[in-house]
Amino acid sequence: MSDPRNRQYTNGDITVFWIPSKCIHATTCFRDLIEVFNPGRRPWVNMEGAPTRRITEVVNKCPTQALIWKNNQDLTEEEQKAQRHVSSGEETPRSLSKPEDPTSIRIMRDGPIVVEGKFTIIGSDDQELRPTTMTSFCRCGSSLNMPYCDGTHRKINFTDQSNGNGE
Amino acid sequence: MENKLTLFKVIAGGPLKVTGPFRIKGRDGKIIEKEEPVLLCRCGHSSNKPFCDGSHKRNAFSE
Repeated sequence: MSDPRNRQYTNGDITVFWIPSKCIHATTCFRDLIEVFNPGRRPWVNMEGAPTRRITEVVNKCPTQALIWKNNQDLTEEEQKAQRHVSSGEETPRSLSKPEDPTSIRIMRDGPIVVEGKFTIIGSDDQELRPTTMTSFCRCGSSLNMPYCDGTHRKINFTDQSNGNGE
Repeated sequence: MENKLTLFKVIAGGPLKVTGPFRIKGRDGKIIEKEEPVLLCRCGHSSNKPFCDGSHKRNAFSE
């Protein structure tokens, strides 16, 4: 049942599970808490980067449950065993794609616009938004965190079938 | 001027305007040849996705 790419990270109190196959690059985790979730680093999750409560808050916002958490006392035997394994060769949200120069813009099927590279974002009020090297923009029109994706496209069953040359 | 940054401008009630160096891959993973500036649909209603076709005006898109 378990994908060999899955990883788990603990601070002794809780364990965060990372399931790459579920990630849709909503990028909420590292926009909110780069101290813990940093796709430019290996391992990309640093459980010492913030207090447990902050980590669970951000993990709870992951729209696809690519990130989930459990109290350590609730771990199964198998999960406890896996704690001892070193996170080598892990994938990160970044390594799921290939960062390229120039800036890479990827249109996700029925999902957001994922951007990676060196870029600046100017918001609808003409103010520069928080600098980053990877983010995702809403394409379904219904995000509650505009201009970014928050995973709402799944709830509303957004499709982008009506394509011009984007197909 | 060599290291020109890519600029994403969020247009209020409208598309995302992209200028500067970039490469776009469509939903099938294939590169789309397109010169800047590019206007990417944000409202979800364009008939020419991923590009804007002005549909946000008809649908009174706001955020």
